[in-house]
Amino acid sequence: MSLIQELFGESPFEPLVEHTQKVHECVELITPLMDAAIEGDYEEIHRLQDTVSETEYEADQVKNLIRENLPRRYFLPVEREDLDHFLHCQDSIADSVEDFAVVLFIRRTEIHPDLVDDFREFVEQVVQVCDTLMTAAEEMQDLAETGFGGAEADSVRESISGLGEDEWKADRLQRKISKQIYELEDELDPMTIIFYEKMLKALSEITNGAENTGELLRQMIIKH
Amino acid sequence: MSILFVVITAAFGLYMAWNIGANDVANSMADAVGSRSISLKGAIIGAGICEFAGAVLVGSHVTNTVRKGIVSPEALGGNPEAFALGMACALLAAALWLNCASWVGMPVSTTHSIVGAVVGFGVISAGIGAVDWTKMGQIVASWFISPVVGGVMAYLFFLIIARLILGRRKPAKAAPRIAPFIAFFATMVVCLATVYKGLKHIISGGASWLTGDVAIGISLAVSIIVALVAHILIKRYLEGQEERAMHDQLRAVEKCFAPMVVVTSCSVAFAHGSNDVANAIGPLAAVVDVAGTGFQTVHTEVTVPFWVLTLGGFGIFLGLATFGHRVMMTVGRKITQISPSRGVAADVAATTTVLVCSRLKLPVSTTHTLVGAILGVGLARGLGALNRQVVQNIFGSWLLTVPAAAFLSVLLYSLGSFIFLA
Repeated sequence: MSLIQELFGESPFEPLVEHTQKVHECVELITPLMDAAIEGDYEEIHRLQDTVSETEYEADQVKNLIRENLPRRYFLPVEREDLDHFLHCQDSIADSVEDFAVVLFIRRTEIHPDLVDDFREFVEQVVQVCDTLMTAAEEMQDLAETGFGGAEADSVRESISGLGEDEWKADRLQRKISKQIYELEDELDPMTIIFYEKMLKALSEITNGAENTGELLRQMIIKH
Repeated sequence: MSILFVVITAAFGLYMAWNIGANDVANSMADAVGSRSISLKGAIIGAGICEFAGAVLVGSHVTNTVRKGIVSPEALGGNPEAFALGMACALLAAALWLNCASWVGMPVSTTHSIVGAVVGFGVISAGIGAVDWTKMGQIVASWFISPVVGGVMAYLFFLIIARLILGRRKPAKAAPRIAPFIAFFATMVVCLATVYKGLKHIISGGASWLTGDVAIGISLAVSIIVALVAHILIKRYLEGQEERAMHDQLRAVEKCFAPMVVVTSCSVAFAHGSNDVANAIGPLAAVVDVAGTGFQTVHTEVTVPFWVLTLGGFGIFLGLATFGHRVMMTVGRKITQISPSRGVAADVAATTTVLVCSRLKLPVSTTHTLVGAILGVGLARGLGALNRQVVQNIFGSWLLTVPAAAFLSVLLYSLGSFIFLA
């Protein structure tokens, strides 16, 4: 066995982008899920829930593969802890999407007509936060290619700099819906209210996950 | 008797050179093969030619160190036969140790084997004082220093490539401006190491016009031409690419580095030939020298015969052709994460370090220097995942190899002197 051969491990960045893409696939199912819930199409929800669950599992597998291929003796261009946290956080986004799908799946919860527009707006904001993050994280390979510096790193950092504000906007929309739900409390049965809250919680966890993942991406680029 | 002895030693030397060609050359070309910049066949042909050229043109310096620098012939001046026998035994011991080590899958350096073996025979034949410990100290120091210097240089080269080319807003615009400087530097190093003393071997009449100044002039001229050609070719290739998306520009720029990494890997092979051929033919040169006087005296001031250098180069080529391609294939398959730009940075650093060591007559390990250089690129955040355990393996390998080869050499010499000299 040659020393040069022993020196090289498997680069984590290509599978890392693959993980991002898998999570992105999950995120892209949020809007169809919401649409199906609004239309009361439970067959569709069932189908989408299966797809989310499958994709989430695939993302998990990629995550485990990355961790298995990186024993401690390997030396990386990013902080080891940041990479682990990044993977964990990004994976939690897919978990939360699955939670959202499960909430819609286990109970036929009708969306009250007065809430439809607000839910749509909220989901749109959630998906937008994720899209911003995922598009940036999918640049990981190019970032590694440029040694995590220069124009490429600057542009990725700039593109995720607005994540905090976007997440805050999503929070505000969530509070708005919560308030409206209680204004309609006489028309809604308590179980429906509980499930609305569960949906909101899952969705807001998606944006939280995206914000945290973005922060870790930034830390990986600057390395400390 | 003397002819037979020379032939037998030459056979050992050829065998050792074959070993070097079979196992080590693959490492020299690793960056070009791993980054898929050259086909396996091309790599073998390129490496073969460059190893041979390095051995023949620059190989004599380190050869002289192995021949007479470590164990001073004066210490055995009264007994030229013992000196010749010892050198032959050292050569065989080093080759045997190499075989044992690769048999159990442990990567050991030919350089450390031969140095250990020569020291072993020196100590047993004429006592501790027979070894030039100052020289030995320099050699051991160079084993520490060469990977570190290779690493620091590769770190800087990669930072230059990353900051001034890949990190720019328009990498495709920056590449034709910056890359020629790297080409200039690499060519200058190879030329300076080769032209002055190297060409004198092969130009008949000793080439008295070839002074130091002329050599520098020639090197400068060649390097400027190479840099200009690189500039024109890269510019032509990247024409109109600078408006494309960042991702596409980076791909295009990497493609520009592909022909460069082929050239720089060949120069690593050249540097490897210049340094490591001595491991095979240093002892042979000593034996040829002593045998030429009918085992009467040991010369200290003769040049290494041209045919001996050629034999070493040929042996390396043979090893590469018969066995090296397999090693090269497995190495190339494992190190796919290296890209041409990284390869260029590591190669130029390793070539420079090894060639300077060759000219300083220091036997160093090309593979260890290249490992240091690749780690340097890694420290500059240029590579995905590098195994830091290899650093321990390097120290472990020579801490074991030097005594082991020395011990084997002592054993063989004791046996040989019992049979032949008693």
